[in-house]
Amino acid sequence: MNAKKAQSFITQNAIYLVLVVLILGIAIYEPSFMSVNTLRDILIQSSTRVIIALGVAFILITAGTDLSAGRVVGLTAVISASMLQIPDYSRRFFPDLPQMWLIIPIVIAILAGLLCGLINGLIVSKLNVPPFIATLGTMVMVYGINSLYFDMKPNQSQPIGGLRPDFTNIGSGFIGKGQYSIPYIVIIAIVVALIVWVVFNKTKLGKNMYAIGGNMQAAKVSGINVSKNLIYLYAIAGALYGLAGVLEAARTGGATNNYGNMYELDAIAACVVGGVSTTGGIGTVPGVLVGVVIFTLINYGLTFIGVSPYWQLIIKGLIIVAAVAFDMRKYSAKK
Amino acid sequence: MKKITSVLLASALLGAALAGCGGNNNSGNSGSAAATNSGSSANSGGSGKTPKVGVAIYKFDDTFMTGVRNAIQDSAKGIAEVDIVDSQNSQPTQNDKVDLFITKKYNGMLINPVDRTAAGVIIDKAKAANTPVVFLNREPLPEDMKKWDKVYYVGAKAEESGTLEGQLVVDYWKAHPEADKNKDGVLQYVMLKGEPGHQDAELRTKYSIQAIEDAGIKVEKLAEDTAMWDRVKGQEKMAAFLGSHSDKIEAVLANNDDMALGAIEALKAAGYFSGDKFMPVVGVDATAPAVQALEEGTMLGTVLNDAKSQGKAAITLAALLAGGETPTKDNVGFDISDNQYVWISYKKITKDNASEVK
Repeated sequence: MNAKKAQSFITQNAIYLVLVVLILGIAIYEPSFMSVNTLRDILIQSSTRVIIALGVAFILITAGTDLSAGRVVGLTAVISASMLQIPDYSRRFFPDLPQMWLIIPIVIAILAGLLCGLINGLIVSKLNVPPFIATLGTMVMVYGINSLYFDMKPNQSQPIGGLRPDFTNIGSGFIGKGQYSIPYIVIIAIVVALIVWVVFNKTKLGKNMYAIGGNMQAAKVSGINVSKNLIYLYAIAGALYGLAGVLEAARTGGATNNYGNMYELDAIAACVVGGVSTTGGIGTVPGVLVGVVIFTLINYGLTFIGVSPYWQLIIKGLIIVAAVAFDMRKYSAKK
Repeated sequence: MKKITSVLLASALLGAALAGCGGNNNSGNSGSAAATNSGSSANSGGSGKTPKVGVAIYKFDDTFMTGVRNAIQDSAKGIAEVDIVDSQNSQPTQNDKVDLFITKKYNGMLINPVDRTAAGVIIDKAKAANTPVVFLNREPLPEDMKKWDKVYYVGAKAEESGTLEGQLVVDYWKAHPEADKNKDGVLQYVMLKGEPGHQDAELRTKYSIQAIEDAGIKVEKLAEDTAMWDRVKGQEKMAAFLGSHSDKIEAVLANNDDMALGAIEALKAAGYFSGDKFMPVVGVDATAPAVQALEEGTMLGTVLNDAKSQGKAAITLAALLAGGETPTKDNVGFDISDNQYVWISYKKITKDNASEVK
């Protein structure tokens, strides 16, 4: 009996065990890893990824997938950066654009993300295109649109720099002093995670999302307006990518049309490792957070201890495969 | 029981991967980022002599930067302990690496930016942490360079590579009257550009043609397109140019060797380089495959972007700054202009001096 209990504990909490093993492994190899500074770095680097992964989680739980996430991040990074340059910068995207409230370009960028999501939702629910194909299409189109915008005169595909300090401060500023300060970007990610948790667990939309992902036919039969719910969910996901794009621009103080490239795969991988089922209906906010942190730990921690980038890729791949293997085990155990 | 076994198996797999990478550190694999880092763990107190320098390369699979990276690794011996990381062609990733270097309290940084405009943010971070930083190969904006005096740039003047590339075509045109295929006294050319907006791409395109015009030769541009520095795309674009302009093309200028080599493949497929059907193709970088093409007589010339000198100058400079010394011409071994810039000059390479590059 005890062995069975232990085994079920391991399968139920596999991701947390992986997290602990990773941290311990890195800390034993390089004790200086255990510091407030590295914790801060890991939280900062997880912030935008958490927001993107939560967006993708909405779609994965409906048994869909969203390949357009990364390119939408790129689009919104470019849009926000293009409108937030300092007035005396030598190569402004819009030379005569007046200075405006910070919130305006940010909202425009998030709305652009939302619009992309809305289009995804319409294609999936109204045209009945499988999500993989629908979002593959928008992924390519969004990159095209972004490149056209980025190539407009007088910018002509030059990286957009010279961003306003009040904007970059969102990405690099913090509350408090010294070691124990909290970066704004981490606070934003936490707030977003809380809101998403509420949507998942306390709203009708969230309940419908799980129902659609669990069994779409059953959801339809029980009176859920599946296509309306799908459109809302894709639009929310798009808005989250939009916010992430804005934060990437603020964090790096610039943007190019290549921002966000392949982020969707990182986000999907983080969700999967965090226990979101690719067959739909299963997934939690804390799971996604841990999934993202595991990948940040791999990126950051393994670089910290000097593991070759090629080995990092192999480890990442193994963790993805192992996570899904555990997940399948859990699923079949329930059956 | 079966279940426990498979759970254990999966865990063991992960453990093996983690253990495997630890072992890899000592194997001295030349491409490995960690080759010289393995000894540095947890003994920051013991290694007071050589400063630690964090190096972030924009992308590990870039041919030219790999040459520079190897030169950095070779030249670092004895002067600095380097930790070379891959920014995966993503500026956010590079910023993450910079944060890591600062958190690890490295004495200096050597950054090959993904995006030149992002240098401003990196300089702010470096200044706040008082960690000197040397930028490499992609020049930060002048206003960013002015932010702090412990910021240096090592690189080549991109326009010089264009000028020399144009001169290669001029030399050929003047020595071979038959190069003017339609005898109209005008040089009809096609241009393969690198990534749009890339400083090198724009400048090489402009200055190569300017050099030809400065030599008193009239030019006509038949076509120009971007092949993204890429050999496969260079081949595809050249095939398209040949499709639309066929025999009218009298010279092919590419912003780098990879695209020039791609163009040569397309030309070969169209019957060039056999018998007396020749096309002058010039590139920039003098990569090993390009030098081979020079020797085979398919490529007319290339311009050497001196990876060895760039890597050597950059790491020497970074090591001096990291050690708290003031760089001068004597201790760096290269001229320093405007107190912040080290310019490495280019060289013309043709079949005659190809052996020098090897």
